[in-house]
Amino acid sequence: MRFRRRDLHALAGAYALDALDDAERDRFERHLRRCQACQHEVRGFAATASALGLAAAAEPPAGLRERVLAAATVTRQLPPVTATPRWRRALGGSRMSAAGTTRTFGMIPKIATGVAAASLAAVVALTVVTINTNNSLNAERARSQAVAAVLAAPDARIVSGPTTAGGVATVVASHRAGQIVFTSSGLRVLPSSQVYELWFLGPGSARPAGLVPVAVRGSTAPVLASGLKTGDSVGVTVEPAGGTSAPTTTPIVVLEVPV
Amino acid sequence: MCAARPGQEPAERADPDLDTLLTHVAKGDQAAFEALYDRLASSAYGLIRKVLRNPSQAEEVTQEVLLEVWRTASRFDPARGSAASWVLTIAHRRAIDRVRAEEAATAREQRAADVPVAVDEVAESVEATMDAERLRRCLDGLSELQRESITLAYYGGYTYAQVAALLETALGTIKTRIRDGLTRLRDCLGVS
Repeated sequence: MRFRRRDLHALAGAYALDALDDAERDRFERHLRRCQACQHEVRGFAATASALGLAAAAEPPAGLRERVLAAATVTRQLPPVTATPRWRRALGGSRMSAAGTTRTFGMIPKIATGVAAASLAAVVALTVVTINTNNSLNAERARSQAVAAVLAAPDARIVSGPTTAGGVATVVASHRAGQIVFTSSGLRVLPSSQVYELWFLGPGSARPAGLVPVAVRGSTAPVLASGLKTGDSVGVTVEPAGGTSAPTTTPIVVLEVPV
Repeated sequence: MCAARPGQEPAERADPDLDTLLTHVAKGDQAAFEALYDRLASSAYGLIRKVLRNPSQAEEVTQEVLLEVWRTASRFDPARGSAASWVLTIAHRRAIDRVRAEEAATAREQRAADVPVAVDEVAESVEATMDAERLRRCLDGLSELQRESITLAYYGGYTYAQVAALLETALGTIKTRIRDGLTRLRDCLGVS
């Protein structure tokens, strides 16, 4: 598909409406990087399109707010773009090569652009991995990556509820991955001889799912646990420091994981 | 942009707070993110639902979009457009991603059959508020082909080639009608 430059320029409108197919979009974005007039025009068109978008406002479903805010508490944010993003080039060869246009045309964060929503997880993971190779890999980042993968899983479900120890517990679960991410805020602070322990609660069985770290400013860092089975609930009990292999107290909260 | 402010939705340029909020979100400010949610979630959800039609899919995509806003807030540059425009651009792009992904798997007949509804719905929702009235007037100022091309592409989620097929019009004509129509709409709305 060959376009003359003038024809390319005429695609600015369709581009701003996301109405180009993949090949044309890539081609137009390459042109856009070099064409200041196009950047200006696309920006105005994008703002115009937003006016159409605002006009379509509708009340979101109940519960969405809570789920989004809960997910945000356990989602690591991208750092700002600084000098030459070497790791971006490492993403080249795919649609991600368009990342360079972020600098010339900033309406859309191009990191994930054009990637079907379902593969967002892969992008998150890829981003984390490539950053890690530039900096030193450490366990914290790897954990963030695993947590992000659960959060972005296409089948991710979020459930949260109050606990009898105060505060709120939240679980993000992916049955496909067999994993959950647990987080909480406002739980009663325990003496150092005790710990909050997580459990997968199946029919007639309780399987240990890890210990909840001590809260920082009221919130506990996300805990990633594997071994979720269909029909499991997630419970939290207070146990002696170090944890136990079976719950010894009544759970402070039991969250049913939606299938 | 200073147009189309339906109901409780904040204005864009008229309300620099939204840009400020987003810069706070970039620093991990949960309260700012809550405030941003309250002001933009209905716009994002409404737009995504209009494109996708399916409410549960729309909910899913909206959640992904708002998390993406949280995750990538540091990439927002107020010099390049308003916060609302940035969020809605992401919302529309993700809705379209979903449409394209499904198209690969699903026949288009049903959506094609829905087309006239899409156009009617625009007018309907646009009537909802005073500010939207201005958008409606501006839309009315377009030629029919311009208006149809733009609304089918934007709300209907069609590529301009698909719009050309639906309207049985030459590809090049649709391409220029979309661009000319957007230019006229932009000028009518006073978008800088």
